Amino acid sequence: MKTVSYRSTALLLLCALGFVSLPVWAQSQQFPVSTRTLKNGMKVLVQPDHSIPNVALYIFYRIGSRNEHPGTTGLSHFFEHMMFNGAKKYGPGDLDKVMEANGGSNNAYTSQNVTVYQDWFPRSALPLIYDIEADRIRDLTFDPKKIASEREVVASERRLSVDNNNFGLLGEQLWASAFLAHTYQWPVVGWMSDIEHWTMDDLKHHFEMGYSPSNATMVVVGDISPEEIFQLCEKYIEPIPSHAPPPPVTTIEPEQLGERRLVVHKPAELPIVMIGYHVAQTNDPDFYALNILRSVLFQGESSRMYQRLVDKDQLALDVSSDVELAFDPTLAIITAQPRQGVDPQACEKAIYEELDKVKGAPISDQELEKAKNGRLVEFYREMRTISGRANTIGTYEVFMGDYNKLFNAAKNYSAVTKEDVQRVVKKYFGANNRTVATLLPENEEKAKQ
Amino acid sequence: MTRERKTLRLLALLGFLGVLCPVAGAQSLRLPPHEKFVLKNGLTVLLMEKRGVPLINVFALVKTGAAADPAGQEGLASVTAGLLRKGTKTRTAQQFSADFDYIGGSFGADAGADFTTISAEFLTKDLARGLELFADAVLHPTFPQNETDKILAQSLDGVKSAKDEPQAVLGLYYGGYLYGSHPYGRPSEGDEISLKRIQRDAVVKFYEANYAPGNTILGIAGEFNAAEMRKKLEETLDAWPARTVANTSISAVPPAKGKRLLLIDKPDATQTYFAIGNVGTAVNDPDRVAIRVVNTIFGGRFTSDLNEALRVESGYTYGARSFFDSRKTPGPFEIASFTKNETTTPAIDLALQVLEKLHKNGVTEEQLKSAKSYIKGQFPPTIETSGQLVRRIVVNEYYGLGDDEVNQLETRIDAVTPAIAKQIIEKHFPMDNLVYVLIGNASAIGPAIKKYADKIDQRPISDPGFWPPPAGAQK
Repeated sequence: MKTVSYRSTALLLLCALGFVSLPVWAQSQQFPVSTRTLKNGMKVLVQPDHSIPNVALYIFYRIGSRNEHPGTTGLSHFFEHMMFNGAKKYGPGDLDKVMEANGGSNNAYTSQNVTVYQDWFPRSALPLIYDIEADRIRDLTFDPKKIASEREVVASERRLSVDNNNFGLLGEQLWASAFLAHTYQWPVVGWMSDIEHWTMDDLKHHFEMGYSPSNATMVVVGDISPEEIFQLCEKYIEPIPSHAPPPPVTTIEPEQLGERRLVVHKPAELPIVMIGYHVAQTNDPDFYALNILRSVLFQGESSRMYQRLVDKDQLALDVSSDVELAFDPTLAIITAQPRQGVDPQACEKAIYEELDKVKGAPISDQELEKAKNGRLVEFYREMRTISGRANTIGTYEVFMGDYNKLFNAAKNYSAVTKEDVQRVVKKYFGANNRTVATLLPENEEKAKQ
Repeated sequence: MTRERKTLRLLALLGFLGVLCPVAGAQSLRLPPHEKFVLKNGLTVLLMEKRGVPLINVFALVKTGAAADPAGQEGLASVTAGLLRKGTKTRTAQQFSADFDYIGGSFGADAGADFTTISAEFLTKDLARGLELFADAVLHPTFPQNETDKILAQSLDGVKSAKDEPQAVLGLYYGGYLYGSHPYGRPSEGDEISLKRIQRDAVVKFYEANYAPGNTILGIAGEFNAAEMRKKLEETLDAWPARTVANTSISAVPPAKGKRLLLIDKPDATQTYFAIGNVGTAVNDPDRVAIRVVNTIFGGRFTSDLNEALRVESGYTYGARSFFDSRKTPGPFEIASFTKNETTTPAIDLALQVLEKLHKNGVTEEQLKSAKSYIKGQFPPTIETSGQLVRRIVVNEYYGLGDDEVNQLETRIDAVTPAIAKQIIEKHFPMDNLVYVLIGNASAIGPAIKKYADKIDQRPISDPGFWPPPAGAQK
């Protein structure tokens, strides 16, 4: 019953870039992507697939919590919610009702970097979906009553995913401590006091800043032809005027000069350890070697960290790593949940030792091969559904700058050598570059006192 | 660090295993062709060729699940499944993982209430190796003592970890409170007490008693040649010795009478998580299609009555839904949501009002039309991949549901009228007899919730076990 879907989508997004390999797909499969840039600057990517009579339409806006400021943190995410709460033609509540009555469904997510809107629908709903999307991009309205109730919805979301979720809570504290200057330091959902104080003007300003068609990329995959999609775009989307994109985020996080540590005390059954290392942004060439390193350390029960912490020493219930897709230098986060009675520092020590082993001696040929194989299968997994493909094409276009890099990813992964893996572990996973966050169960501490 | 707008979509789709529907529009969706045969040892095999992606999905269903766990040893079926990969006659746990990971494959085994499933996925080019590994785990596990001890201890900490997240354990408390000592009330992954009682001998016995070809359905879907696959299976799996398996039957539980409420105290909770309902329906209930249509309107999608009221109009919550977890015999029905401490009773009151309104007003022709279109339109992506398809045909085979479950469903959905919906509501949506489970801060919400039930039970979340409290559970 652990089915909070924002998690699985986050995972999907990570997989999209994280687990890609070898060009087998590109060679053996028909994978044509047709593109067009509309006069207002929106780029449209289309890939027909007639295996089911459905369509996945994703719109990526290059705006997220990194474009926010203190006092209005979480505004991008709140705005994302407001995009469903009424425009000129489809008033409050109409969008969802009309879409579902025509067999469609929708969702959206916001990250530090992007806001993504997703529609899944039978092809029969095609013109309608364009009418709905155009309406809200062009003529979004803000009803004060809706703002008030949606504010409560977002507060509930925050309670669900942060305040009553120890992993969410600790992760939030980790980001806030690892970044001193850059806007990655605050949570996507926003601080609770900011959630309580956004104004209508804040929303209007956000719309003007981030929602120019030229700041968006549309991806359509499914039972369609490129021609019909381009015609729909010309009719519904192209007339929407473009304006200036969000101002660039110019702040660069200064180099971290020593380990930072923080502790969260909370009633809990088990502790948590999270270690964040500053790493390069997604479009950096190190991206591929970093992912191979993470595979060797964390992917599957034969991975080094699993073998050491979960299996052999039985220090942790689970150990994993995540890297956010990011426009700016971001964090690689290692998360471990210590077993009952295990000192979190014992987990930390084992993690550092395993990192040191890779620094000291190259990984084996077998491990390198295994990591590459694992990424190949993950790639097929991701690409076998129309929604997975829409997400992956859009992710490469937005974060790598060109969807065609999807087809080179294979080459880039197979080019990774054992020496590359060793180089990135030395470059990023040092003590001075890490922030260590630990959640300690209050009840256990009291028992000790 | 990604925040999403809705929680409902996946929840709604995952929930209706075995209750299937066809696609909208002129183009009716049908299950791709597949073949069925029975090996000499009694193993039922289903094969489905599916081209497009060079992957193969293997899915075995053993017709015994957590409902067969002996009382006091909850988690036995689950631990047995978990140990399949942890040592075979020819491989240690580490070798098995290394071999599977090397081909980029995935392997999982899990026990639900009715049955146990073992699944694997690998590239077509690795078919021989993948299949051999799969068979090795299912046919030749050795259950090493040290691996058994390890998995039991890990499972125990897994229960503790889950209790740190109310959302993760609400269903376990709800199932226990609703079904009591009936097998469907058992936590399928065990609890802090039961996992300490399980011995290796019991695991070996459970395996020997239940993992037999005659008690198993094996499905394979993906990019392969069916004739060659059949030959290969006959070569490798015919050697699995036939064994008689005792028939496990699960008695049907009548709906609970009256109103009772269980409050699980989590003193640091700032939000109350609640489930309300009663015993629901069996998978093969003749009303299953109509129930799905009505539940879509009531609590099965974003614009459902429940979500409209509790989220869209009032802002009480991030999400509210209702859900039939249909099983071999009637499984639980629940209304579930969460809200901040201060709005606990207003939110529950509102959920009850929505339920009353459903009973009073029924559903309109327009609501029906919308729900039918929604279910049909959202169905195709649920049978898009070979992994989804193989699971579906195997589970349908287990429950005795044919391909018509998919192929005829458009027709069956269209047959639902407001008059039929009215009957469905009266018969299947409980209103006067309700079981409540709340996880929250008792001192903040305690007194106000007494109005919902004549009988109130309460225990701290930190106490071992779920419900009923296991013997020896007092801390």
